[in-house]
Amino acid sequence: MNLIDRYLHEVGRYLPRKNRADILAELRSTLIDTLEGRIQGPASGASEEDVAALLKEFGPPQKVAASYSGQGQYLVGPALYPLFRLIAGIVLASVVGAQLLALVVLDLVGGQPIQPWETLAKVLNSIPAAIGWLVITFAILQWFDVRPELDEGPWDPRSLPEVKETETVKRGECIFGIVGGTLLLAFLNFFPERVGFFSFPGGPFFANPVIVQYLTWINLALLAGIALNIYLLWRSRWTTAGRLARIVVNVISIFVLALLFQGHNAWLAEHGAGNFLSSVEMFSADPAANAGLVGMQAFRLAFGIALLVLIIDTAAQIFRLVRSVLIGGPTPETLEA
Amino acid sequence: MNETEFSDLYTNLTQELRRGVLVLATLSQLREAKYGYALINSLAERGLEIDQGTLYPLLRRLESQGLLESAWNVEGSRPRRYYALSPLGARVLDALCADWRSLTGIMDNLLESSSNHKEKI
Repeated sequence: MNLIDRYLHEVGRYLPRKNRADILAELRSTLIDTLEGRIQGPASGASEEDVAALLKEFGPPQKVAASYSGQGQYLVGPALYPLFRLIAGIVLASVVGAQLLALVVLDLVGGQPIQPWETLAKVLNSIPAAIGWLVITFAILQWFDVRPELDEGPWDPRSLPEVKETETVKRGECIFGIVGGTLLLAFLNFFPERVGFFSFPGGPFFANPVIVQYLTWINLALLAGIALNIYLLWRSRWTTAGRLARIVVNVISIFVLALLFQGHNAWLAEHGAGNFLSSVEMFSADPAANAGLVGMQAFRLAFGIALLVLIIDTAAQIFRLVRSVLIGGPTPETLEA
Repeated sequence: MNETEFSDLYTNLTQELRRGVLVLATLSQLREAKYGYALINSLAERGLEIDQGTLYPLLRRLESQGLLESAWNVEGSRPRRYYALSPLGARVLDALCADWRSLTGIMDNLLESSSNHKEKI
């Protein structure tokens, strides 16, 4: 009998509190009924072997308890999971996006230079924390068995989104990206001293010191871009993984462009030409000495525009990703840039 | 496919097939109140073996759906929980019986035509 008590105690540990006593009482009565049926006599006459054999047949306590929990035990169950996935995507994009945005703003307005490694560590640390809070929130909802109200109105098959070409990756763009990226990579690394500009046709060459300074980061962004294009070419269709990869690569590029932009800012400020007008004034006063200023202004402007374009593109990509996860289908052509 | 894979697949499919009929089988035996052990025996006597780990959770589910009613009976040598069809359960059982008969008719037809086809080949 002792074995049965121990068995029931162990089963009880895994049962929901609400029905525990009731289930255990029923299980006890069943076990004894079965035992008596087997030995054809009162349970008190059963040997320990008889009881052990019976319990072995019933199965391990955890398994027996689990069979009472109906649809299984979940931290975040199937009813909540689609919502969880959607919100996780939004939360992650916002957490990472907000940090990068804050950083760029602090850098541009507050004049606090970006620290690449610190930034990376901060962003990486914030991801598990965000996911953790999200899981805790959903686990609480699951505990109280909250079920999201699904929109179950009448469904019309004609409302299905049309399959558009936007689902397929544009091969030309990918090949252009790979070739262009490789050429740029080769040029920057083999001829770093040739990265710059002629102040005027036939004039002296001015090497851009900022680009060379951040060459490692530029290489990283270019390599990531090339890898992404190879992947997209290989998949040939836009998938969730592809869109996510593009967002990641864009974020890396935004980061590197912000570094370059900030680097040009610092260089220009150092040379007494923080704004465009002062460079023009200095240039017209002494063209030979200040030839570099206008060129550096142009570089800064180009990086600034690229930064802006990339941020908009990334926002659009995130929107498309969320949309495709939400709808689970292709995105309309109107969203394609 | 080797023998083990075949047997795993086959076991899975039979279990799935059986799972579908267990509700009907259980309801059919509860027009009069029975406790779990007696119910298992009564099903086994008629050729349907059911695992205890399957039956008890099933009984609770059917009760929570309002198809069964249960009560503890403390008159015997030990307390036992007796289950019986509720009025709703009795109605559902009648309807399911009709479905079952029509389904077996359809299945017989299907299987017969399939085995005829096999013979021709």
